[in-house]
Amino acid sequence: MSSAQNLEVEKALADKVTARFGDKVRLSYVKPHRIRFDVSKDILLEFARFLRDELGFDHPISVAGVDYPKRNTIEVVYHIGSCSNEYRSVVFAFAVHLPRDNPTIPTLTPIYRGVEYHERETFEMLGVIFEGHPRLERLLLPEDWADIPPLLKDFHIKGREE
Amino acid sequence: MVIAMATVSEFKFSEFVKSVLWLLFWVILIFSLIVLPIIFVILFYIPEPVINGVRINPYLLLTMLTNPQIGAPLIKATIESTFFKIAVFPGFTFAALFATVLIYAERKVLAKMQLRVGPYHAGREAFWWANSLGGFLQLIADLLKLLGKEIIVPAGADKPIFWAAPVVLVVAAAGLIALIPVAPNWVIADIDVGLLAVFALLGFFPLTTLLASYASNSKYPFIGGLRALYQLISYEIPLILSVLGVVILAGTLNLTGIVNAQNPYWFIILLPIGAVIFFITALAELERIPFDLPEAESEIVAGWLTEYSGMAYGLIQLANYIKMYALSALFVTLFLGGWMGPQIASSIEFFDVTIISAEEANGVTWFAIKTFGIALLMIMMRGINPRIKIDILLRTAWSKLIAIAFINVFIAVALLYLGVVPIAGGA
Amino acid sequence: MSIKHEDTNTSVPGFHMEGEDRGILTLSVGPQHPGSGHFRLIVKVDGDIIVEALPDPGYVHRGEEKMCEYRNYIQNIPHLERPMIADSCGILYPYVLAVEELINIQVPERAKYIRVIMAEINRCIFELYWLAIYGIFLGHSTMFMWPMADRELLIDLAEMASGARVTHAYFVPGGVRNDLPDNFVEKAVRHLKYFRSRLKEYKDIFYDNPLFQSRTIGVGVLRREDAINLGATGPVLRASGVEHDIRKVEPYDVYDELDFKVITMKEGDSYARAYVPWLEMFESVEIILQALEKMPNGPVRTKLGPNPKGGVAEVFKRVEAARGELAYYIVSDGNPKPYRVKLSVPSFRELPVMAHLLKGAKLADMPSIYWSMNYWPVEADR
Repeated sequence: MSSAQNLEVEKALADKVTARFGDKVRLSYVKPHRIRFDVSKDILLEFARFLRDELGFDHPISVAGVDYPKRNTIEVVYHIGSCSNEYRSVVFAFAVHLPRDNPTIPTLTPIYRGVEYHERETFEMLGVIFEGHPRLERLLLPEDWADIPPLLKDFHIKGREE
Repeated sequence: MVIAMATVSEFKFSEFVKSVLWLLFWVILIFSLIVLPIIFVILFYIPEPVINGVRINPYLLLTMLTNPQIGAPLIKATIESTFFKIAVFPGFTFAALFATVLIYAERKVLAKMQLRVGPYHAGREAFWWANSLGGFLQLIADLLKLLGKEIIVPAGADKPIFWAAPVVLVVAAAGLIALIPVAPNWVIADIDVGLLAVFALLGFFPLTTLLASYASNSKYPFIGGLRALYQLISYEIPLILSVLGVVILAGTLNLTGIVNAQNPYWFIILLPIGAVIFFITALAELERIPFDLPEAESEIVAGWLTEYSGMAYGLIQLANYIKMYALSALFVTLFLGGWMGPQIASSIEFFDVTIISAEEANGVTWFAIKTFGIALLMIMMRGINPRIKIDILLRTAWSKLIAIAFINVFIAVALLYLGVVPIAGGA
Repeated sequence: MSIKHEDTNTSVPGFHMEGEDRGILTLSVGPQHPGSGHFRLIVKVDGDIIVEALPDPGYVHRGEEKMCEYRNYIQNIPHLERPMIADSCGILYPYVLAVEELINIQVPERAKYIRVIMAEINRCIFELYWLAIYGIFLGHSTMFMWPMADRELLIDLAEMASGARVTHAYFVPGGVRNDLPDNFVEKAVRHLKYFRSRLKEYKDIFYDNPLFQSRTIGVGVLRREDAINLGATGPVLRASGVEHDIRKVEPYDVYDELDFKVITMKEGDSYARAYVPWLEMFESVEIILQALEKMPNGPVRTKLGPNPKGGVAEVFKRVEAARGELAYYIVSDGNPKPYRVKLSVPSFRELPVMAHLLKGAKLADMPSIYWSMNYWPVEADR
């Protein structure tokens, strides 16, 4: 519903979020059909609840973990879409920056039930602990995996050069 | 690399005589110890036919080879002997051949419905004028393959029952064949309570299936055997009830008598509901789609016959198809008038002696046509339907089919007492 | 079969009883089973009712996302197709769109139309394969043979265009690899019209068959709110009454110039989830015929230099593949090789839906619920 030229709808949504949370969130960018915020960990659940109930973003699309060794952080990026409001083409992304040596984050499973398996995969691929997750176990890797989580940049595929 | 033979030995006359005598010794031994007693047993038990008032003797037999006209009554006598009826027609060989044709028809008809060709290559040259009939020798190829495979018995299996189960299945199926009349005098066993004997034989199948699955000592046959037991037992009751109407109208349990009582109206016109129920329950007894839960491939591999390989599997399939022929033939006998039909066949004569009379030939022809038609209907049901679920299966059998079968019985009784059908005599 | 058992061992292989005296049996519908694919489903049954179902994917995990970081953008195309070989254009489409946005190149019009046509052909190819396997799960061998035969019509078209029957590797950033041959349009029109007449026959043999209806109507009902909250997508979501199709919500390439409907049904049971794809195939044929008519002439590829790279940016692109919403999240740091590629595939998103629907269902309903989720094990494992 929003056009590529003027980003009114996205800017209006971003303004609502900043009005509500102030300086706990930081607007990363506003692009056609895409908004991204950086959120601090302690208001994460409240933020997600606001997103789902007030703004109408209720359809979880993906949870991605990205490893930035240079900044010494691991980012967990949530992408949430919307099925039921009039700006359904917008995908709302919000990211939490976690310290690389102790990445823990509360789970969003009570709010969006669909992120359960995505969070399990991020746990085993990057080592991020989701507190309160109903079943934080290995999902895709074999049972006898004895190495570091594979998507960290420290892990190199044997036999291939960077 | 060819292994060269050893050096060719010289011909020694003494060695030659020795080998000839050795051969002669063995021939005489086998002949006198085995062949002669068999001939005596046959001659003792099989009554010798009488030709022109003279009992047969080897002189007459050899004369027949040069002068076939004398041999015609002998052929007639052979055809009417019990041994011929059991072994060849309408007994085991005919049933096996019919089952073979049914297997071929099933594969071809199913293939045509599914937009493919079916068996095509085996035996195609013989039918070069009709390409669509290729592949009729495929069954022989499959048979030879099955004969050549090793029969693997699972560890911990109950060996006597494991080996006996396929044989018992074939025997019970063949027993059904013995009761069904194909033409006015052509029944192997003309029992007064023929229909009851049919149901007694049908009761063998659930038990044997359960024993076969139990003897296999494995998980999937266990589940399949239990499912087969539920299904076969549940569907026997509507089967028997649907036939009750026929017995009321015919007044006799003898199968030949039931066929004779269908003059002029076949029972399918008078009792269509019973016919439909019999057809459905026959499909369930045969474990065909839509009732093939015991062999559900995508859920439990192959059900109760998972562990059977090689010729044991071949025997089970043979039993399945002979059962299919038997139940189709039973449907024809009970509801479609058996062998009755307008006269289209002529008698078969051999040098002025009627071997098969005209009405017998006619009866056989009509019987074959009708049975094949019903079997084709069963095959087409397979092409159209998916599998039924087990709770719907049991619910249908115990509540719906039994209720409709009772309604059928009431209709039969009503027809009788309203005078539409004359009260037939007999037991 | 609720049997009370004290110890946890039986001698029958494959069964495993739990220690409590509740009689719960743990069955492993394992990867070596004619009815499951490369996927394990651990079901705990009490009698005939499933108490809990735990999906256990990961048997074909190859590390696609890690492999993407070792190859540049063009080298990533062949191995990114492999998770979904039956719908290879669908899994590659958002990647190509994302890379085009990163590198900032324009795609010629003809290439956009060709991409739409190939994506819709691939959609039909996957839906037919899925219907065929659905038939076989329920024991219906004719429903297995007919879609496989009709699929050949469309695979022929795909082979004409790209040279391969499946895994075409046809989309590249900048357009498509090569132009369509000259007789493609008339052959496609002929094939599609015959295909449409064949599709109509499926109704009589499959959808109106009372045995099929008895196995799927009312089975595995997914309510609207649950579907959205669990992250369901594609025909599963649309069969529960949510009108959400990325081709209409956020049109890409030339979907906004084509005229088609979004199919939804309200019931949300297995029958609706099997019926919606059949209706969607009619819409796909409509889209392809319109696109074939409107397609302009011109170049089909914007040539890229060697080692194309974008700036320091991130892109999130999504597309309606045959199974649902496929999304790529690509982070680039200015190198020819991407920094991070994350695929969000529809099969992986159906896992919580599957676990939710199987709880409380009967064991005999498991094949029809499991396969109606449009689950493709290789894609979910990446």
